[in-house]
Amino acid sequence: MNIKKMTFVMLALLLFIMPVLLLLLQSVSSPWRFQSGESFHFQIESFQVLWSAANLLEATLWSIVVGAGVLILNMAVGIAAGKALSTLSFKGKPLLEALFLSPVLIPVLAVAMGLHLFMIQAGLADTALGVILIHLVPTIPYSIRIFHNSYAQLGKHMLEQPVVLGAGPLQQLFTVELPLMKPAIRSVTFLTIVISLSQYAITSIIGGGRIVTLPMIFFPFLDTANTSVMAAFAVWFAMIPLAMYIIVEAFILLLPYSRMPWRNTR
Amino acid sequence: MRKKWLLFSIILIALLAACGNTSSNETALSEVTEKPWSDIESAADGTTVRLFMWGGDEGINQYIDEWAAPRLKENYNIELERVPMDTGEILQKLQTEKKAGKSEGTIDIIWLNGENFKNAKENSLLAGSFVNALPNFQEYYDTDDPAFQTDFGTSADGMEAPWGKVQFVFHYDQSKLDTPPSSFEELKSWVEQNPGKFTYPNAEDFTGNAFLRHVLYAKAEEPSAIYEQSLDEERIAATADQTWSYLEEIESNLWRKGKHYPNTLAELDRLYSQGEVWMTMGYNEARAESLIEEGVFPETTRSFIMEPGSIGNTHFLSIPFNTTEPEGALTVINFMLSPEAQLAKLKPDYWGENTPISLDKLPENMRKKFKAVERGESVLSQKKLEESFLPESEASYVEWIKDQWFNEVVQQ
Repeated sequence: MNIKKMTFVMLALLLFIMPVLLLLLQSVSSPWRFQSGESFHFQIESFQVLWSAANLLEATLWSIVVGAGVLILNMAVGIAAGKALSTLSFKGKPLLEALFLSPVLIPVLAVAMGLHLFMIQAGLADTALGVILIHLVPTIPYSIRIFHNSYAQLGKHMLEQPVVLGAGPLQQLFTVELPLMKPAIRSVTFLTIVISLSQYAITSIIGGGRIVTLPMIFFPFLDTANTSVMAAFAVWFAMIPLAMYIIVEAFILLLPYSRMPWRNTR
Repeated sequence: MRKKWLLFSIILIALLAACGNTSSNETALSEVTEKPWSDIESAADGTTVRLFMWGGDEGINQYIDEWAAPRLKENYNIELERVPMDTGEILQKLQTEKKAGKSEGTIDIIWLNGENFKNAKENSLLAGSFVNALPNFQEYYDTDDPAFQTDFGTSADGMEAPWGKVQFVFHYDQSKLDTPPSSFEELKSWVEQNPGKFTYPNAEDFTGNAFLRHVLYAKAEEPSAIYEQSLDEERIAATADQTWSYLEEIESNLWRKGKHYPNTLAELDRLYSQGEVWMTMGYNEARAESLIEEGVFPETTRSFIMEPGSIGNTHFLSIPFNTTEPEGALTVINFMLSPEAQLAKLKPDYWGENTPISLDKLPENMRKKFKAVERGESVLSQKKLEESFLPESEASYVEWIKDQWFNEVVQQ
């Protein structure tokens, strides 16, 4: 192992693995008090608190449904807009790019009130679709950006080749573009799910309490001094992006030219 | 272009909504409350009632989910759904729905008091007066109690029903100090002897603000000079000066020399839990019990109050203007006010919170049950709490203290 690899492993251990381990330990032990003279106390009460939250499963399910919806829409819009931005040239393109980024610059809460009004009129308030749509606001600028860069990296020639060979747009997408953009798909998945999952205020306003997602149960508990319960919630919270990531990874395997991990790769 | 169109349509809709007729549900509730109670209860049969409330305490959540909801189902065939949401957001949602003219809302009951109630009432987000229609309120509560008539100085007008009451207490660790201070002067000398062992949450925080109001009460000639009168900065100028100078004097001996104040009560609680500071505080005189049981606070935690007394307030249940189940909401609130529900709420198993019910009005055996409840060692006696009770001041003091504290104490 060379020195670079060593530093990487050490840093990863220190900055990623250790905190997660601490979190896991905290979630299964009593709140630890400095100088209390007590050692590690194993307990699973914090997880029992978690399970006893009556709407936990429902909320988890809603979070997954909303997250999946947001992800699918993000992929569709991101790929379409990203490709258009990197291949077409037209008047006012820089302006359009700036507009696409604007939702990141304007706080969502500032427009939430107006959007809520709009959603009520459109009959989308208090529905899952409304929540999915509002979650697009903080996520889609990133997706467009990522796919834009990704298409730019593929280069013009890579995109011209399939056309020359007579592929339709869809065939081109699935056989050339997507397989080459796996890293972008992974980033978008993770980013989108994590952002969507942590939206508290806009979910509660647009979802109106009909759509109860995980943060709506989890965030009020940030007010408690019981660190064990919070750790247990955080562990549960982290499971969703992880699970979604694995599912998307499985979908990526379905793309052509994917190397199956169980196949001999010699 | 599309963006422009969207913006335009939003503005247009907002304008249209503003012109539109605001809903006429207020008459609906008064029509309902005129009906005989048995009719209301039978109309509530089979309904689903949504109770929107802050959800950050598992004891409170379990009281609703495990104690109240099954009994409502059994006795009235009402499905009670608890929805966790911050009160501020609930009001914002109602506000927007009001603007949009949405007369069929998703909220049937809200839990609120103080500033939030003032806001809701001023923007007419509440359905109207209903308290006097509740049989349990008439029978078991002192209907003329000023604590139910006004809420942080705002006249309640029967638009909210008293659900519980809490008093502000300080907590200390018995193993670290023998006798807690009994006045703010004693607290000051204690802080001088034990630098870095005391602090309070900043004025933005609900609890921190209440601490500051206690100092204000203490520095006034009589606490009633504050709570009986509306905010007049000139009148209380002398009291205010004393308050700020007291806070500045203790500042250098606070935790981290007063350079940083905890942002929330939870932060202060964690400091206390770690032994960094030796005192914490908070509304609900029994709140330490569950924290001790969870192992967050040391078992030797006890509570104390200081001269001139401890501020307490009542919190309420109310019905928003666009409820679709006024009968169901009334039945649920009436149930929440019943002696059985209040007794279960008082017991430390779930919530452990004090009751606004009048013990004298209860039947003999019920009164005995209330008196027999052991609230736990960390809770002061009922007598002591009642003797030192001080009412809240007007809501405008809260804002005023917030601003002044930053100017006078933080920026000095």
